[in-house]
Amino acid sequence: MSTDLDLFLANVSLISLLAIIGISLYGILARPNIIKKIIALTIFTDAANLLAILVGFRRPPSAPPVLLNLQPSPSEIAEFSSTAVDPLPQALVLTAVVIGMAVNMLIIFIALQLYRLYGTLDVRKVRRLRG
Amino acid sequence: MKRELITALSLTATVLVVAYISTLGGGLGPLFSDTRPLAKVFLSTTLDPNKPMFTAMSPEGVTAIVWDYRGLDTLFETAVFYLAIIGAVAVYRDVSEKVVLKGGGVGLSKIVKLVTKLLIPMNIAIAISIALHGHLTPGGGFQAGAAMAVVPMILIVVFSRYFLLEVKISKGLALALRSIGLIGIAFTVFLPIIIALISGVNSYIMQNQVKFGAPFSFPAFFGDSLISGSLILYNLFELLAVTFGFSILFLLLSIEESLVKEQMGGEGSEH
Repeated sequence: MSTDLDLFLANVSLISLLAIIGISLYGILARPNIIKKIIALTIFTDAANLLAILVGFRRPPSAPPVLLNLQPSPSEIAEFSSTAVDPLPQALVLTAVVIGMAVNMLIIFIALQLYRLYGTLDVRKVRRLRG
Repeated sequence: MKRELITALSLTATVLVVAYISTLGGGLGPLFSDTRPLAKVFLSTTLDPNKPMFTAMSPEGVTAIVWDYRGLDTLFETAVFYLAIIGAVAVYRDVSEKVVLKGGGVGLSKIVKLVTKLLIPMNIAIAISIALHGHLTPGGGFQAGAAMAVVPMILIVVFSRYFLLEVKISKGLALALRSIGLIGIAFTVFLPIIIALISGVNSYIMQNQVKFGAPFSFPAFFGDSLISGSLILYNLFELLAVTFGFSILFLLLSIEESLVKEQMGGEGSEH
């Protein structure tokens, strides 16, 4: 019974993440305001990162991927590698978060420049002003 | 208002129903029930002195992957970081930082300034300890850099932009320190090759511990304490690069808008 509940909760988080990705894609594509597009993009990034972490998760008994003993015996290492969660998605996400922040800053700088040059953040009006 | 409520409720209901149906099928069960073989390889070799050819000599699996097993990935992620900041600086290429001190900045009240003065040394200490313990406990250069980048941001908000100019923290200084961090990372990447060329043995780029046919190795221990070879160097240099990379962006963003427009003068008419 409890494993069914675990599985149900895992499914809820997985499917709501997919729903969030859908909503944020709608925001990126359909909203005309660039600031709203950027907000939707950050939501998309966070949902993708959380999805990666969720894929790396495993049901209890689980442990963080950190060895507490600095002189581990072979049996300790065997136990550690069979209970710890997958460290690879965490490693990918930790760089992606910081790099994503830098890329977001670049996009914000470009949006700011766009506002200075055109006086608007509406994509349709920026397009009309061109040429 | 009513329409949004209906949308939110129906979306929640859809998510719950789909989740319930997929639970009945049991389709996602295997995803969370076992460790993948690749993860097992990483976890069983991350700190194992009995397997010197395979281990990264770091008890922290995530840092071992970030800077050893998949080090080239992280190297190129750092390149993306570098390019994003260069792009932002290029947008501001016409804007000189020498802002006119029109009456100077005032900043927030005395209470806020005093509390900030007390908090900032703690913030710096925490960031440095996150970087220095990155190979032992959860943390590392990226997280430490993100924690440290808060300091210039708080300084700008609390003490004003002009205060930073007075204490000589400028865009140029931040660019120089960030470059030192990046050069340090590049140096650590190529150090095994340089040593191999000098001493006539084989080695790989970004090599940390001994590999088959490549006897070069960074020292895993410094005295009695575990430093995990090159991992501690990478974490420290990444701390520098990330901190001052973000500092550049905050410094540029906080230049007064009217001054930016003045310096860009007339460019808008060309478009």
